[in-house]
Amino acid sequence: MSQQLHQKKIGRRTFLGATVAGAALAGGLAPARVSAADRTVRIGFLAPLTGEVAAWGLPGLYGCQIWAEKVNAAGGVRIGDDTCTFEFVSYDNEYAPEKARAGATKLIFEDEVKFIMMLGGDTWPAVQPIANKSGMLVSTLLPSDLSPDTPTLIAPCEVHPIYNVTGVWWLADNMPDLKSAVICAQDDALGRPSVATYLAAFEAHGIEVRDTVFFDLSTTDFAPVMTKMLSSNPDVLCLDTAYADFVHPLCEQAYQQGFKGKIISCTADFYEKIIEKTSKEFMEGFIFQFPDFDDPALNEPQINFAEPNEFYTEYSQRWPGEWSAVSWEYASIMDLWVQGAQRVGSVEPQDVLPGMKQGGTGKHAFGDASWWGKELFGIDNALVGNWPVVVIENGKAVIKEYRSIPEWWSMHGELLVKHFTEMGEMYHQRG
Amino acid sequence: MVSAWGSRGAFVGLFAGLIVLPHLLSFSQKEVAVFLVINVLVVVSYRLLTLTGEWSLAHVVITGVGAYASTLLAKRLGVPVPVAMPLGAAVAALTAYVLSFPLFRMKAFYFLIGSFAAGEVIRLCWKRFREPFGGPKGIKLIPSVPDIDIGIVDVAFFDPVNYYYLCLVVVTASVVVLRRLEQSRIGLTFHAIHWQDKLAESVGVDTRRYRTLAFVIASFFGGLAGALLAHYLGTVNPNQFDVESMVYVLVWVIVGGTATIYGPILGVVALTVVNEIVLRELGVDQARPLIYGAILIASILFLPDGLESLGPKMKRAFVRARERSDRGGTRG
Amino acid sequence: MTELLLQTCVNAVYASSFMALIAVGLMLIFGVMGVVNFAHGELFMLGAYCVVFVYADRDFPFFLAVMIGLVFVGVLGILMERALFRPVRDNPLAGLIASIGLLLMLQAAVAMGFGVRMEHINPPNQATFHPFGLEGVVVALQRLYVIIGAGVVLASLWVFLRRTRFGWALRACAQDPEAAALQGISINQTARLAMFIAAAMAGLAGALAAPLVRTYPYMGHSVIVTAFIVTIVGGLGSLGGAVTAAVLYGFVHTFVTTFSDGVIADIVGLLLMLLVLVARPTGLLGVRDRD
Repeated sequence: MSQQLHQKKIGRRTFLGATVAGAALAGGLAPARVSAADRTVRIGFLAPLTGEVAAWGLPGLYGCQIWAEKVNAAGGVRIGDDTCTFEFVSYDNEYAPEKARAGATKLIFEDEVKFIMMLGGDTWPAVQPIANKSGMLVSTLLPSDLSPDTPTLIAPCEVHPIYNVTGVWWLADNMPDLKSAVICAQDDALGRPSVATYLAAFEAHGIEVRDTVFFDLSTTDFAPVMTKMLSSNPDVLCLDTAYADFVHPLCEQAYQQGFKGKIISCTADFYEKIIEKTSKEFMEGFIFQFPDFDDPALNEPQINFAEPNEFYTEYSQRWPGEWSAVSWEYASIMDLWVQGAQRVGSVEPQDVLPGMKQGGTGKHAFGDASWWGKELFGIDNALVGNWPVVVIENGKAVIKEYRSIPEWWSMHGELLVKHFTEMGEMYHQRG
Repeated sequence: MVSAWGSRGAFVGLFAGLIVLPHLLSFSQKEVAVFLVINVLVVVSYRLLTLTGEWSLAHVVITGVGAYASTLLAKRLGVPVPVAMPLGAAVAALTAYVLSFPLFRMKAFYFLIGSFAAGEVIRLCWKRFREPFGGPKGIKLIPSVPDIDIGIVDVAFFDPVNYYYLCLVVVTASVVVLRRLEQSRIGLTFHAIHWQDKLAESVGVDTRRYRTLAFVIASFFGGLAGALLAHYLGTVNPNQFDVESMVYVLVWVIVGGTATIYGPILGVVALTVVNEIVLRELGVDQARPLIYGAILIASILFLPDGLESLGPKMKRAFVRARERSDRGGTRG
Repeated sequence: MTELLLQTCVNAVYASSFMALIAVGLMLIFGVMGVVNFAHGELFMLGAYCVVFVYADRDFPFFLAVMIGLVFVGVLGILMERALFRPVRDNPLAGLIASIGLLLMLQAAVAMGFGVRMEHINPPNQATFHPFGLEGVVVALQRLYVIIGAGVVLASLWVFLRRTRFGWALRACAQDPEAAALQGISINQTARLAMFIAAAMAGLAGALAAPLVRTYPYMGHSVIVTAFIVTIVGGLGSLGGAVTAAVLYGFVHTFVTTFSDGVIADIVGLLLMLLVLVARPTGLLGVRDRD
């Protein structure tokens, strides 16, 4: 244990050193461009690094750091006539819109980045006018930021929450005797569209939803929430897109208050800790959507994320216990960006976007996927394809199957639209 | 007379500096400058309320009321933005008036926390009632101030420099009004209530009425600041107006000092420059709040009366200038 | 339905105990020093991180970690009094800013030392039992620890305040510091003691509840808002008032959460507290305002 902590510290220090050096470069010491054949491309990372929401940004920056080191150590990638290496410039937006706006301006006009990765959510609307005017290509993890007014915003990795349908679909196929569910969700930009998705999926597969319980982000005690959920005696507890911080106490409460059915959730970060707090038997068959990257099923040929197992090992070594969904997502967006840039032989934002969308397809981390979203977001800037259904078996998360989101959509799309409309989450209702 | 001219000269110089300023800044610093000017109005209006001795923790929420009201008027009812802004401010003032009935039954700490609770109720309502407040995500795509385009004059308010000038004009005018008010009989009564509450009452001053007046006026200008922010940023959400933001306003005001109207301005400018420019340039990333916190502690231990007390010379110069312009209007 | 009501009562008792531990400490600091201690939530957070450091990361016994948390945070409280609050005693606003500065520093330091993600702490004992033999009502042992801890601490504090000279001095300072000084009470000593007790209680609450709540660097934020309001509604200088307000808030909030939803519960809770303040502008059992 102490050895682990020791590693953790050293890792952090080296990292800080690296960022300080990066910032010094950004601050004007940057060497003049060596030659056209060998250039450093700057990528902006505009996400919360401190404060309440930091857990959604900082681990992603760590992942990018690993990605950049790997790519640069291999001598960079060839884009057009240049060999490009990468440097990440981060700006801590503290999840505040005005800081995000100032940060976007800095990254675009001062650091001259070619692409900005954001968490999205509260901070996106303030960046939107700047992105639109400057034509900067921006990515978000939250497709609910997409609308017809955001031509340069893409959601190339996680089309949250649409992939959640795959979990329910799998559940209905494999556990047909489960007939009722209760949903709980935090009342925010992640929770609500996700509730709409689960409602649609449950309806599509004939599972009755008995109650939907919203809780506030500042909730510390989940006993009352769970008491309320269990009072309608469901077969399935749906934890929606509750943050990892909420999934844990919710599962613990479900266990303590004697729940015996199945649990389905979007995420289950650090599930091994949940098992410690509850029991192996209780967590058996827990369904969620985010695999560990040491899963052998990620080495299947259709998977586009490069060397997922090595990435996972490296990450876990540097930041023990910090692995979560965002750890790999920003890095995977970079893969897609490089691919788009290579298609057109340019790193300029206005070229890369059409490059990424060329042919309407892209090599998504979990397999080839297509650009989609018009019906739900008003714009085809979300990349959807297969998504894994992960189930905890004998204390370990296992990818059971990859299921196709477009296939589900072609069968039940109208239900999704119906529930999005009822929740007020359609692009034309938002805002 | 000479010194009055001197101080007038200083003001002209300051103004010239403020007008040239945005052209000396980098792109992102221009953005910071816009928010800074708006925050100047937030702190200056907040100080007016504190003149009566009451410290509210609802001021940021009140600026939010201005922001939300102006937004809804412009976006839902199609009111032109330049009209919606003062109307938004008026709604903030009205809200303060309504709140004054329960809140001014309390005093001191009780008022502080009571205002906090009242502010939280308002903020939670924005969160809970999606119609019309947009819920936790708030409202986006807020109409911006219409561009001025008449022949040779073409001013787009998307450009931070132009919006900076607009804010500068509004904020300067507000500061002048607030300063005049402080020097007027009403302002003197505010001071009197702060220091001699019972005495003021005994000579027939209705202290509660004056406290309400200070609260309402402060809220009007706070609301105006909120409206300025909303129509520039293009989005409002409940998190922007949470306790943390209120804590920052408190910090700016107290670290700057409240004896004069310059104290809070000094506080917000100095601390914003430190936090948003100096510390970011240093690239200290995660350690930024650590250093910022240390600076706060150091400044309050070494300058308990605020930055405005920095340099006795400067202070004496201020006092001399003030003694001329307003007799006996100083507090603290 | 009876079981649901009983379970909700059990939940409410836990929520009230938890809140009382924090609110009573805030009240003491408020009362004796006149300082609005914004960093109180961070003291709570440090208590929880003591458990992370000692128990979760190093496998020492849980109750040893709780004791260390209590003492560590208590001593930190004494240091705060000496270094931050004493130099600016005549200026409550300066004390407020100093506590905000400390809050930012503690959050950032813990985030850098332990990471921004939540910590995972297994309760030392996962036992649960069913009171009155009812199948549908359950109490986890860990929750019982918090309830018992709060009960014991608050009862001893009550005795302490009533029976000892220190307690008498503490109450005197809370009611009127100048008169207390005239009576020969050392304000410094009293303030130090009050700060130790208050901080230790926050540390204890954090340590005991660490396996139950989200333990992460910004966790103080979620308790401070409610704690302030509960404190003031109870009335300055009144232990009974703070406890009453905590129980009132705990029950109302828990019941509304169970039968309506969480955000409505927050709103109703706050409105109720405001209503109390409007009816009794110096709190439920508060002494006359000291201004």
